Amino acid sequence: MTDFVQNCIDGLMFGSGYALLALGFTLVFGVMKRLNLSFGPSIMLGAYAGTWVYLNISDNAWLVALATVIATIAVGIYVERLCFRAIRHDATIASMVSSFAIWMQLEEVAMHLLPERTYPFPAFFTTTTIEFGPFYARSEHITMLLLTLLLLVLLHVFLFRTRPGLALRSVSDNPLASAYMGINNSNILFLAFALVSVLGGLAGFLILSADTQVTPYFGLWATFKGLIAMMLGGMGSLPGAILGGLLLGIVEANAFWYGGPVIRDLSAYLLLFVMLIVRPGGLIGQKIVAEQRAADERV
Amino acid sequence: MPNEYVLTIISNIGMISLIALSAYLLLVTGQISFGQQAFFGISAYAGAIATTLWGWPFWLALIFGSGLAALIAGLIGVLTLRISGMYFSIATLAFAEMIRLLLFKLTYQVEIDGELVGPNGAEGFGEIRWIFDHNISVLEYTLMIYAVLLLVLFGMVLLERSRLGMIFRMLGGDVLLTRTQGLNPVRYKIAAAIIAGFIAGLGGTFYAHSFTYIEPQIFNVMLGVHSLAYGLIGGLGTVLGPLIGVAIDIGFLESIRILQGYRMIVFGGLVAVMLIFMPRGILDEARVYWIKSVIRRWFNA
Repeated sequence: MTDFVQNCIDGLMFGSGYALLALGFTLVFGVMKRLNLSFGPSIMLGAYAGTWVYLNISDNAWLVALATVIATIAVGIYVERLCFRAIRHDATIASMVSSFAIWMQLEEVAMHLLPERTYPFPAFFTTTTIEFGPFYARSEHITMLLLTLLLLVLLHVFLFRTRPGLALRSVSDNPLASAYMGINNSNILFLAFALVSVLGGLAGFLILSADTQVTPYFGLWATFKGLIAMMLGGMGSLPGAILGGLLLGIVEANAFWYGGPVIRDLSAYLLLFVMLIVRPGGLIGQKIVAEQRAADERV
Repeated sequence: MPNEYVLTIISNIGMISLIALSAYLLLVTGQISFGQQAFFGISAYAGAIATTLWGWPFWLALIFGSGLAALIAGLIGVLTLRISGMYFSIATLAFAEMIRLLLFKLTYQVEIDGELVGPNGAEGFGEIRWIFDHNISVLEYTLMIYAVLLLVLFGMVLLERSRLGMIFRMLGGDVLLTRTQGLNPVRYKIAAAIIAGFIAGLGGTFYAHSFTYIEPQIFNVMLGVHSLAYGLIGGLGTVLGPLIGVAIDIGFLESIRILQGYRMIVFGGLVAVMLIFMPRGILDEARVYWIKSVIRRWFNA
């Protein structure tokens, strides 16, 4: 029982990283109804820029974070132009496949930039272990969990309390009507993508500085974990992303404890597969799926 | 007599064409699968186990491996009936990753001639020696691959001309239209999944015996995305489309020395650009129709 509770605590901590990644996915999906599968590799390239600054210029945490975020935005813009803006608005699947193809491209760019496979990423959090009773947690993970919740609140305020946020929601609800209201849809979608890249850059920075290293596998990892967390919690839902991330973290931590790394990954995919079959919209995202289905059926 | 390097590339093109055709068939029915590599992998393991551990003849093992792949594809088809679009794609992706991870856990070894052979988890499955034991040259094996590939192509051409093929295309165009014709999309989706699983399986068993060593990592999502991309580049209008895609990637990009290490950059970019300018590939339906009419006029004149 102690093991199980400790696993759940660990899971919550790892899950906050997944939740951060899922926030990016859910925002793109909520606004565009599309999946951006090259989200992970964009973050990875951003992290490489951060590592480069760390190794060559300065070990100032803010500077590294800034470099990571800026590079992630740059790659994010490339992906948006090529896979989203250039493709017709109703061809949602084409965007997904295209972003997958760009994923391969970015992975190989990363391999060339990082021929040595593993590079140090600065650890900026003071790492101490906090004990309470028989349980313990690492302080950098608690910081990450709190920052995730803070970002969720900020994002919520932005979406529901500001004019650009209102514009974003109206484009998401009904692109045609928002165009009639004088909203420039392309600019708003671009803004959403930039926002998602900022979120992704921050997520990458936080996760990697807890891991203290960056490898070319981070892109694949980030895309899959973020995608699974988003689909578990709810497509296009912000609380769903947090919920899905934490749930995924808890399941994985327990599967790892009882079965090892292969079982951990297997449990994540199994959970995703079952969820997609039983509830394609995730735990709290059924509405968006129902709307899409209705659009398909033209009723 | 062509040299072995060229022959290896040619036989690679043949084997990868099979998985590309499998992804193409699903694309035609409007389903984008990121998971055809799973059926390729299932058949690679099953076929190699049948020849190496059980001593079955190759052709029987080929049917066994592909049949197993088709069976599992059918089951997955039934499970994923209710979902479509990107949900279907991600579900197939999750399934394929599950199969890949299960292969890491698959250990089934038998002592043959004083040596343990068979799949051994992450260590992979080596010593698939059927080709050597039967003294089959690279040329002969390549011919075997192409014989099967031609049969599959012939079968698919017949399929495209049949009523079933028409229904597949209609399903890809408009599911609602299919239903208004009094046809049940469910049955045709499962049929397409089974056929596609079988074709991918044919490629898998050939692959295992050609390379004599397989490991779970080969059947990762990159293989699936490539096989999907071949159809999207080559074109969805004719069965020759995916073959063109494979020829461009393996015959051209992978074989040219200068491009070593840059293949994905070129190929990924190519797919993205193609999706913008020719969303249904080089040989899409309209272009195939145009080529056919030109040929017809040419013969009539």
